[in-house]
Amino acid sequence: MRASKAERLADEELMPLIGEKNPDAFEVFYDRHGGVAYSLAYRIVGERGAAEDVTQEAFISIWRSGARYDAARGSVRTWMLGIVRNRAIDFLRSKAGRAPKLDFDDDSILEHRPAAELTDSEALRRETAEEVRGALDELPGEQAKVIQLAYFGGFSHSEIAGMLGVPLGTVKGRMRLGLEKIRGELAEGLT
Amino acid sequence: MSEHGHERRSDEIAAFLLGALEPGEAAELERHLAGCEECRTELEWLRPAVQLLPESVERVEAPPELRESLMTQVRAEAKTEAEAAAHAPRRERGLLRGWVLRPATGLAVLALVVAAVGAFAIAGGGSSGGKTTTTFTGHSPGVTAEMVSSGGSGTLHLANLHQLPSDKVLQAWVERDGRVVSAKTLFVPNQDGTASATIDDMEGVKTVMVTAEPRGGSVQPTSPPIVSVSIPQ
Repeated sequence: MRASKAERLADEELMPLIGEKNPDAFEVFYDRHGGVAYSLAYRIVGERGAAEDVTQEAFISIWRSGARYDAARGSVRTWMLGIVRNRAIDFLRSKAGRAPKLDFDDDSILEHRPAAELTDSEALRRETAEEVRGALDELPGEQAKVIQLAYFGGFSHSEIAGMLGVPLGTVKGRMRLGLEKIRGELAEGLT
Repeated sequence: MSEHGHERRSDEIAAFLLGALEPGEAAELERHLAGCEECRTELEWLRPAVQLLPESVERVEAPPELRESLMTQVRAEAKTEAEAAAHAPRRERGLLRGWVLRPATGLAVLALVVAAVGAFAIAGGGSSGGKTTTTFTGHSPGVTAEMVSSGGSGTLHLANLHQLPSDKVLQAWVERDGRVVSAKTLFVPNQDGTASATIDDMEGVKTVMVTAEPRGGSVQPTSPPIVSVSIPQ
């Protein structure tokens, strides 16, 4: 299959082709999602070299197991980002004295993709990203922090409770309140 | 369940979705979810809030070298698989000549003696159509190895592997004429703990081994074998 033909396929249609070891389909898949995957990996591990390793391992894993994607468990993009996140967290946990990045506004992140040449789906994702960022910005700092520590830092609630010096129940309660607010902010676009 | 009880479960559902529960707590919640539609509904309602968190990340341009490296590896693997598929019938004949129909050995040679080095003990296995599956116990409990051999090459399928640190890869080795050399095959376990390694040249190979090595591989094994497969001659 030529890459130009694969480009016209939806992610869900690409996955069976990737399962059949079609490199053109995989290339299209990477071009669509490699950017956000690398960005997520970098957000979690905080090092460019490590983010490259994590992203490469995640995509190779997908290349070798693409046929195991289960549409019932969410979109391909969500599935892929879950793999990247798990790989990145594994990397953090494998490091002694890990130090996850905790801030959303990292001044070192300056290389944004140009706004031009966005496809409709990319533009929609940008819009979604803005909505999620907006929802996170609206959260009380204590709720945003526990969510960041858990999701981007890979810390358990008991580790977070120890770090922040608050009871376990408080940490879990802040997580719930924070996620409920994000969900509420996004509800219109998700239902 | 009381209102207070459900509030507690709601807290746990949020922590669960964020991956913040301890394994035992997560397992307990999963058992509860299996029998509580109300909690399952809440879980599914809340899930998108977590699934969309990655989208909030500021975009960083991925280096072009990453794409280049990835596609080089992918195209090489695709080529290898395509070649293997194209030559499958010939290899099948080669298998029959080389292993199955060797006069002095008969069917017994089909059984690839799979043994982990050191304390591994064979727990079970069987063979069919040129495949042998053997389960190990010992240093790598539960790891399963399935060696699919054909005339000139072979593929080692592993399952139930632990995930590796990101700075490690699995490397395949072959022992031939008393020397252990790299099979030039680096690979990593898939998310489900499976992995495969293709050994292009099985000629004269007595043992196939897999070790964990630093990324990029090693010239010689630097860690004990995870599995070691003895190939009948």
